[in-house]
Amino acid sequence: MDELQEIREDFLIEAFELIEQMDQDLVELENDPDDLELLNRIFRVAHTVKGSSSFLNFDVLTELTHHMEDVLNKARKDELKITPEIMDVILESVDMMKGLLEAIRDSGSDDCGIEIKDICGRFDAISNGEDVPSADAKADEEVEQECQAQVEDAPEEKQMSEEELANLTDEEVEAEIERLLAEKQKEKQEKKAKKKATTSEQPKQQKPAPAKKVAKKDNKDKKVSSQPEQTIRVEVSRLDNLMNLIGELVLGKNRLLKIYDDVEERYEGEKFLEELNQVVSSVSLVTTDLQIAVMKTRMLPIAKVFNKFPRLVRDLSRELDKDIELIMSGEETELDKSIIEEIGDPLVHMIRNSCDHGVESKEKRKEAGKDTKGTVHLKAYNEGNQIVIEIKDDGAGMDPDFLKMKAMDKGIVSEKEIENMSDKEAYGLIFKPGFSTAAKVTGVSGRGVGMDVVKTNIEKLNGIIDIESVLGEGTTFKLKIPLTLAIMQALLVQAQEEYFAIPLASVLETVRINFDEIYTIDGKNVLKLRNEILPLARLSDMFEVEKVLDDGEQVYVVVIGVAESKLGIIVDGLVGQEEVVIKSMGEYLQGIEGIAGATIRGDGGVTLIADVSAMMDIAKNLNVNLVAEAEASQTREKNSPSDYNVLIVDDSKTDRAIMQKGLKPLGINIVEATNGVEALELLKRGDVLYDAMLIDIEMPQMDGYTLASEIRKYSKYKNLPLLAVTSRSSKSDRLRGVEVGMTEYITKPYSLEYLANTVSRNIKLPVGVAS
Amino acid sequence: MSAGLENVLKKQKEQLVSLPQKDKIDEDIMQLVGFIVGEEEYAIPILSIQEIIKPIDFTRVPSTPEFVLGVFNLRGNVIPLIDLRKKFTLPNKPIDSDTRYIVLKDGENIAGFVIDKLTEAIRIKKSQIEEIPETMTKKDGFIYGIGKRDRGIITILKVESLLKKDF
Repeated sequence: MDELQEIREDFLIEAFELIEQMDQDLVELENDPDDLELLNRIFRVAHTVKGSSSFLNFDVLTELTHHMEDVLNKARKDELKITPEIMDVILESVDMMKGLLEAIRDSGSDDCGIEIKDICGRFDAISNGEDVPSADAKADEEVEQECQAQVEDAPEEKQMSEEELANLTDEEVEAEIERLLAEKQKEKQEKKAKKKATTSEQPKQQKPAPAKKVAKKDNKDKKVSSQPEQTIRVEVSRLDNLMNLIGELVLGKNRLLKIYDDVEERYEGEKFLEELNQVVSSVSLVTTDLQIAVMKTRMLPIAKVFNKFPRLVRDLSRELDKDIELIMSGEETELDKSIIEEIGDPLVHMIRNSCDHGVESKEKRKEAGKDTKGTVHLKAYNEGNQIVIEIKDDGAGMDPDFLKMKAMDKGIVSEKEIENMSDKEAYGLIFKPGFSTAAKVTGVSGRGVGMDVVKTNIEKLNGIIDIESVLGEGTTFKLKIPLTLAIMQALLVQAQEEYFAIPLASVLETVRINFDEIYTIDGKNVLKLRNEILPLARLSDMFEVEKVLDDGEQVYVVVIGVAESKLGIIVDGLVGQEEVVIKSMGEYLQGIEGIAGATIRGDGGVTLIADVSAMMDIAKNLNVNLVAEAEASQTREKNSPSDYNVLIVDDSKTDRAIMQKGLKPLGINIVEATNGVEALELLKRGDVLYDAMLIDIEMPQMDGYTLASEIRKYSKYKNLPLLAVTSRSSKSDRLRGVEVGMTEYITKPYSLEYLANTVSRNIKLPVGVAS
Repeated sequence: MSAGLENVLKKQKEQLVSLPQKDKIDEDIMQLVGFIVGEEEYAIPILSIQEIIKPIDFTRVPSTPEFVLGVFNLRGNVIPLIDLRKKFTLPNKPIDSDTRYIVLKDGENIAGFVIDKLTEAIRIKKSQIEEIPETMTKKDGFIYGIGKRDRGIITILKVESLLKKDF
């Protein structure tokens, strides 16, 4: 029984593949009904499926394919001409085959209530040379008799088969398998031989054919030659496991590189460094190669998804009464299996959209002076670390004003939002849930669901949707998707003192801007970048990072794109690009908003990976006005001397007391710290904003020079007066002081008046308020 | 011969029967690891503990309650870190040389917990463990029971509840 199960699984896999191919071939056949090679191939599929299913006792499937085979055989022998009507019947039967196979896969039996008698009857009629009766007419005629005949037959047959099955001995089963295998082998060889033969024949037939067909045939030839001689089926879970291990290795490699950098710095010029360098580079090279190799084992050609589209477009054009041609290219482009699985649905919706909304009706095309035949191009190609799928139609194009109006009618956007909307943003409206421009709900569209599905799925893959449209000439959608999900390139950015990784696939660019380039529209901050208005949000606000430093005059903005929308993220620093391996944070921390996962960096620390699509939502709900905030902090009012704060940093208690005494007449608020570390802590805590600092140079733990240079690292304190108070007065000491950013040098001993004057000058204490 | 064989078989059978009995005696004893958080001593079944480590750096995670300190790297795995003091609404205490992370495991669910100090491994008879008084059951359900010992009592925590995401 187990062996049978295995055979059945193999049969299912093979059958699904065959039928997919058949679908494509059939549509092609319709364009070129005289192509004998195509017919033969289709016939063989029907034949193979029939043979295997009868062996496995799938009677319904056998019956269906048997009738199909009859018709195809006649067509093959030129006794029958394939008309569109006959094609409809054949295609319908292919759909039934799919249904039956799915039933077999799910329940192990093809007895699932799919009614095939009617279609078998129609096949019979076709092969007998009668006109194709419509489904209804046929139903009256033969169904009854056949029904009865079958009902009587079927159960008996079934029982028999089960008995037979049980009675099969191991040897018999094995013999049967061998026979089947041999048959298949023979068939394969035949197929190959025939294919070779036809490739040489093809040029002759092609001459009158349009250019498009040449391109298609070329592709086919390529497929034949690139078909691997030997393949093995591997469980996906094993590949996943392999991928995880590679992930660990990549982390190890990153760590090694980091350690090497440290070692290089410390032991510069040492001999062993060279050797170490060689090992490190070769390990890192091999790791990268290995990673690519394993990634490739998971790669599938996108043809797997594309294959069903010719059929889809054919059906759609008949349904919509339009003349649409689908031109595909780049089917051999490869993508990770998990992405292939996710991308099918969105593409179906995109193509439906292009056929329904993009390409106009025949009449309209004629009026516009276009060829009545519309085209939809479907193209896949690699671009850097991404794959681009382009869906281009030569239809009516999109009218941004019309879209805006529609969106407003449906209450999806407000009037205010529309005012500032660029054309590109208007195109993006089609992805809003509930948005549809269709006048009425048809079988194809109008519910405003499809494009929303596209957006959600593409977002899930960290992909970007780019839309270009010219009114009257057509629309081009570009889906940009990363090649793989488990390991990715990320941009590491800094928010205050924390780090985050942003998937590089979503990063469009990084810019450095002046704070005064930020505008406020409707209470929200925006940036005008070239001709686009970008919403802005600060990373530290999005992720509630505790504020220790202030924004400087200039800020870095990382522009990210998710599906069709963009956002500028203000970060405090750009760290660099790194390869990261996505790790889950465990059950306990699952589903944290804005965080897609975590990764382990070269130094062993954990860095969180931002979930860009969630960031978009977070940014929308943020209510921080950066411009207003900056203005508020500047105009902090100071009415009396006690509003001024000065920090004294000195390890000697006596010295501190002297300074206190000197500054007392000013009436300002004085805070003390005993060393550099403590002073820095006080400064970072930020509960008191200091106007000046008096710093001793000789201190335990952290000396004055180090403290000054640490303080100057924060842009917030770039202009904070730092006054060195020291007895070290040599020129080199003073020079060092200037280097680290000391504002002034007060040498000990000093008079108390001198100290008070210097301080009040530096904190710009108004003369009037000084007592 | 056959009698001898039968004897051997019988002996084996007896052994088989007596083995679980021996286990049963062991089952009656619960092995725990004791530790201190705040003023009180708590214990956790030893089998739920994956390991105990000294404090290492962690990374804050946004949009989480205060008691979730963040995540840390445990030999290549990213693991959440929870502050038991904060979880029990006790005042803060800086990390010192006694502070440890206890990594607890319940199936696939793993998290590290910050504790003030480890005390000792404890063997306690199950009969010495009492269910918590009804008046106290409200206390978040973290408590498995109260263990009675020669010197005082010990609160045994429920690992599943500690590892349950409650936000």
